[in-house]
Amino acid sequence: MTKTAPIHPQTIVLVEDEKELANEIKIELERLGYLVRMASIAEAADAARVGDAAMMIMDRMVFGEDSLETLEVLRKQGVKVPVLMISALSSIDERVRGLKAGGDDYLSKPFAMVELAARIEALLRRLDDVRTTKLQAGDLEMDLIEQTVHRGSARIDLLPREFKLLEYFLRHPGQVITRAMLLQDVWHYHFSLETNVVDVHISNLRKKIDVRGGASLILNIRGAGFMLNADA
Amino acid sequence: MLEFLRSSAVRVAVGFVVATTVATTAIFGLVYFQIKAADQRSNRVILEDEAAKSINHSVDELRYAFEVRLTHDLRRLDYAALFGADRKLMFGNIDELPAIPLDGKSHFVAASPVPGGDNRMEPAIFVAQTRPDGSIMLLGRSLLETLAFRRIVQSALATGLAPMLLLALAIGAFFARRASRRLTTIHDTIARIMKGDMHLRLPVRSQHDAIDKISRDVNLMLDEIMRLLVQIKGVSDNIAHDLRSPLAVVHAQLERGLESPDNEELRGVARQALAHIDKAMLTIAALLRLADVEYGPKSSKFHTIDLSAICADLFEFYEPLATSKSIQMALEIQSPVQILGDGDLMREAVSNLIGNAIKFTPEGGTVRVSVTQEDGKPVVRVRDNGIGVEPAERDKIFQRFYRTASGHRVPGSGLGLSIAAAIANLHDFDLRFDDNHPGAVFEMAGRRK
Repeated sequence: MTKTAPIHPQTIVLVEDEKELANEIKIELERLGYLVRMASIAEAADAARVGDAAMMIMDRMVFGEDSLETLEVLRKQGVKVPVLMISALSSIDERVRGLKAGGDDYLSKPFAMVELAARIEALLRRLDDVRTTKLQAGDLEMDLIEQTVHRGSARIDLLPREFKLLEYFLRHPGQVITRAMLLQDVWHYHFSLETNVVDVHISNLRKKIDVRGGASLILNIRGAGFMLNADA
Repeated sequence: MLEFLRSSAVRVAVGFVVATTVATTAIFGLVYFQIKAADQRSNRVILEDEAAKSINHSVDELRYAFEVRLTHDLRRLDYAALFGADRKLMFGNIDELPAIPLDGKSHFVAASPVPGGDNRMEPAIFVAQTRPDGSIMLLGRSLLETLAFRRIVQSALATGLAPMLLLALAIGAFFARRASRRLTTIHDTIARIMKGDMHLRLPVRSQHDAIDKISRDVNLMLDEIMRLLVQIKGVSDNIAHDLRSPLAVVHAQLERGLESPDNEELRGVARQALAHIDKAMLTIAALLRLADVEYGPKSSKFHTIDLSAICADLFEFYEPLATSKSIQMALEIQSPVQILGDGDLMREAVSNLIGNAIKFTPEGGTVRVSVTQEDGKPVVRVRDNGIGVEPAERDKIFQRFYRTASGHRVPGSGLGLSIAAAIANLHDFDLRFDDNHPGAVFEMAGRRK
């Protein structure tokens, strides 16, 4: 995966007490063009309060301390910085607790770096404007009110779930989208799958929205997932 | 010995002895005091009666009467005397007037000299009364007899109590020793079991007393622990194997890649290694998941969920995959089938069943999903007409990491059915396999309602 570094690199504050894992995350994120600052829970909270962090990655347990409490306090103080929780606690209950306390996303260890990178990108480029009524990519247009999709002048009929799937891609243009993200956000399934069901759904969607002979609107990103090809 | 004394059986025996002693002494005491009180009451009545009758006798009559009384002891008078107004003895068998009111009522005097006596002092009851001529008449009765009676009671108590106490002690000690011998045996056995003799069991005799009952329970617990130990050993062997295999492959691949001069080959090898590591991580995630469902606290998210809706949703999710493999899918759903449960977990369980069915069904096959209420019990069935499960393997498919001989080529962690079974169990559902002639039926049915 190649990616050009943004002109103004964004600072990610990383709270993780497993040294080697923290180092790997730092190297990978710096390779992707982010500035990474390792911090304790207290330092991270300070950085968030003064607006020094574009986002934070927080382990649930750091040196035996539960970072959820700090996060809850931050949220009560009105600090809105996006927070990605990572944790060795994998149960659904723990995930729900993490999100309730103010986490924006939750990743259980072990996770792949591409998964982490994709989640970070999604959080950093999250569109806060939910009032959008029209989404676009190239000559494909989605009307959220009419629930219709057109490619050029041709109307495309999609099943409700296919519509949601496409909407998710249109809302995250140019971002790597992993299968786990689609399962979680489009189907609301919170478990991992051993089959390639998601790929089949994507290929069915492609058949409907792609123009014969043209480049596909949804690209496969090897070893990671998919990406909306906004230039198609 | 100290341990023996500290044992609860000994404490019970000693307590029993103490209680017996207290009760017996109390009864003896009560009898003694009752008799003593009755005796004194009658003595007092007699004395006061005598005094009242004699008050108007002349001095000479009195002197005569006293002699008769004292010598013939008709009404058991021990003391009789007349004192002058100056409180000097005029006649009688007591030298000094005791310090009691001169009111014709009986009074207790703790020590007064024994008549005709050798200076012994004994308790007695006296009545003193001033006569019309100013002289003072004194009548009295010794309490020596009451004292003698008390001594008899005490010695009876002593001689009776001692053998009884010995008997109680003996019985208590016998039971205590017996119980402590059994407890010692149990203690020793448990110590040996803890040292590793897991096949040992506590002795259980034919008597159905409390110790036998507890021993039996402990034995059952040990059986269960043994079963789990064997199971855990099997599981950890499987875990080791399932993680070692991909790691060994990764190791070999990376070695090969490092030795290759070709940069492109190294990249290809690294990619393959990553895929293997991903597989290992999937296995670990599934294991954690399983532990979470099986041993974690019961989910706090139990509420009313609709199995029909969950299955319909999953059906829609899986249908494109089936179609891509030329497998037909069919859905039979009655009206909403509501249960109390965790929607996320139930979705995961049914997802595993449908995913499995599609995995093990060849092209042209059919996978049917149904949700029904049968006898008021919710039932989810996933049937396929695929390769099915060999009879010999049917009771093993729910074990962790078990993969059927024919399923070995199909990718997966081998934990899907274990997780589904654990989730079913958490919801008071049973997950069962049935033959579909050909193919498999997995039936998840509620246990009660």
